[in-house]
Amino acid sequence: MAEATGPEIRCEGVSKRFMAKGAAVEAVAPLSLTLAGGQTTALVGPSGCGKSTLLRMIAGLEDPSSGEITIGGQSPQELQRAGALAMAFQDPSLLPWRTVRGNVGLALKLARQPVDWAGVDAMLARVGLEGFEAARPAALSGGMRQRVAIARCLITRPRLLLLDEPFGAVDELTRARLNAELPPLWRASGTSVVIVTHSVREAVALADRVVVFSSRPAQVVADLEVPPDLSRSAAEDLRADVSEALAQGWDRAMKAAE
Amino acid sequence: MSAGFARLRPWTPGPATWGAVASLMLWQVAAWALAGSYMLAGPIEVAGWIATHPGLLWRALLVTLGNAAAGFVLGNLAAVVLAAGIALVPRARGVIGALALVVFCLPLVATGPILRVLYGPGPGPQITLAALAVYYTTLIPLLVGLRAAPASWFDLIRLYGRGEWTALVQVRLMAALPYLLAGLQIAAPAAFLGAMVGEFTGAERGLGVLTLRAMRGLDVEGTWAIATLAAAVSMLAYASIGALARATALPRPEVLSALPPAEGARGWTRALLTQALSVAILLALWWAVMEALSLPRFFAKRPDDLWAFLVSAPMAADNRAILLAATAQTLAYAVPGYLAGLVLGAGLALGLTILPGVAAVILPVAVALRSVPIVTTAPLIVLALGRGATGTITIVAVMIFFPALVACLQGLRQAPGQVLDVMATYGAGRATRLWQAQMPAMLPAFFAAARMSVPAAILGVTVAEWLATGTGLGNLMALTASTSNYNLLWSAVVLVAFGSALGYGAVGLVERWALARFAPEQLRV
Repeated sequence: MAEATGPEIRCEGVSKRFMAKGAAVEAVAPLSLTLAGGQTTALVGPSGCGKSTLLRMIAGLEDPSSGEITIGGQSPQELQRAGALAMAFQDPSLLPWRTVRGNVGLALKLARQPVDWAGVDAMLARVGLEGFEAARPAALSGGMRQRVAIARCLITRPRLLLLDEPFGAVDELTRARLNAELPPLWRASGTSVVIVTHSVREAVALADRVVVFSSRPAQVVADLEVPPDLSRSAAEDLRADVSEALAQGWDRAMKAAE
Repeated sequence: MSAGFARLRPWTPGPATWGAVASLMLWQVAAWALAGSYMLAGPIEVAGWIATHPGLLWRALLVTLGNAAAGFVLGNLAAVVLAAGIALVPRARGVIGALALVVFCLPLVATGPILRVLYGPGPGPQITLAALAVYYTTLIPLLVGLRAAPASWFDLIRLYGRGEWTALVQVRLMAALPYLLAGLQIAAPAAFLGAMVGEFTGAERGLGVLTLRAMRGLDVEGTWAIATLAAAVSMLAYASIGALARATALPRPEVLSALPPAEGARGWTRALLTQALSVAILLALWWAVMEALSLPRFFAKRPDDLWAFLVSAPMAADNRAILLAATAQTLAYAVPGYLAGLVLGAGLALGLTILPGVAAVILPVAVALRSVPIVTTAPLIVLALGRGATGTITIVAVMIFFPALVACLQGLRQAPGQVLDVMATYGAGRATRLWQAQMPAMLPAFFAAARMSVPAAILGVTVAEWLATGTGLGNLMALTASTSNYNLLWSAVVLVAFGSALGYGAVGLVERWALARFAPEQLRV
């Protein structure tokens, strides 16, 4: 039922400037980037480099200062209104007065889709939260809350899924489990996925493609394909490449600052 | 689960119980010891009076409760409507906030008689005054609550292409609920106060009527008994709403008695323009309402009547002199009382952090006494300390003291545990911790209390002047109301309302300066 392939994301000359204390700060330098439909792309870069800002612009939560973003030929706002977009934040952002089921169901309501509670419960079972449907977020662990947030994203069958360091706030062990268990849920549906992370390991493990950014203002310093069924040693090499690119981007930014 | 266990455990008296018992004993001892020199009645005499007049008190209580409840509902509804309006149209916040403040600063002493003339006999003034007494203390926490949700919750709403209305329904209203309950808690005793003041203005029945009768007859036991009953009912209302708030199991909001001054970054000219616009809208509304209801000019004065009275009429200079003299008398009581209440409240709070055990006993008592309406304490203090400066200044100080103490104690609790831990690792003493970590944590709460105390001080002083001293603006307003000198009455009302609002704004400026220095994170809203 889901479309075979998710939409292509095109960023053309997109930049973002903020005003801070009367001075303009360039968060994202003009950049052009095309992310193929149905792929999972990881955006990697040092903290504060503007990768999250780029993701928020793709989500339509921020307007670019220049340039244009289209997703399968539509604007982010058109995609929002169609209920075809979902995003998970670093904080699970669950509403504390709603139950686990209520939080997931809310997404269907917001996306103007019929609220099918059996479907909600089935989705909760798929993310491993069977038996917690009636619990409130305060009663859950950090990892469980993040599972609820992912379930809330997936329940509307989005064509574009955006993940902003979704597992950044959970411990390393939980993170490894979530990284292993959750991606198959969106892989199967052919959704286009963009993940922002500062973990090289996570990027290589989850993505089909890794785009490495310099420190602020964000510019692309490397663009690497991740071949499917990567062997252990090949993955090690790729991680080394990404780390190298990150370090170069950092050096360049340091030199520019001098 | 835990509730079930708690029920099985045998009951042991907590600090609140000890505090209540200690206060009752202290009161009785004071009543016995000072019986010769002060007009005091102890709990035993009060209980005796209540036991001999049960029917009288019960009927009066029901009348007052009914009026207070009606005003409570109407006033809080108004607060909710105003807050929702500001949430939907954020740009209107400056103007609506200023209008709401000025209306809140209208002196009950004068609005009571004016409303009596407008409504004639019946419960109209009582209910209106109760509503006026509550809407601001609900509006302020609601405004804080409506903005209390994290940004990502609103991002979530926008991700699905939804707008402000969905954000209001799905996020803001629920996030504001604990704040609304905190506001309602403060509003419950305030509604009772409003209803009683309304009854002072010539109602036929109610606790306010009984109070006036007992005071005029110098019935010490009666005055104390009515005051005790009113205080007990207020405390009960306060405690029940508190219990309701706990039952919702939502996270309780931190200290809140006033809105953090959030709009400073926009600059002076913008702020001044907003204020000027607010004054203009207020004057226009005032005129328009009176014209629309075609109220007679004899008692419903318009802005141009007051302009003539104070500026262009031949006797204008004399009229101004009368107002100025009364203002000076009022300020001579209000300012020392205000400062004494604040300093004593904050001082005791700081002192109690050095003695945490004592604080645990005093805090519940202070929270309870905070809910006692001023109209019930004012007659008692007048009876005890007389009709001079001491009594009046004490009334103002008492009015300020308990809210300041409670706010400061709650503020002190906000001191970040990790900072205190860091200090502990260096072996810092209590004084260092107090000065370096707890004092700065207390400042926002202190200033919030200081700001909200400005209208409270004016209310306290005008009630005292009216009931007791026979001087100042409070007396002027009561006198001009009874002699139908409506030009002077309206002038005094406008002076008090704008003066209080200005004082509130001035304390807000000091607050901004202090917070920027000592607690800059509080300004980033």
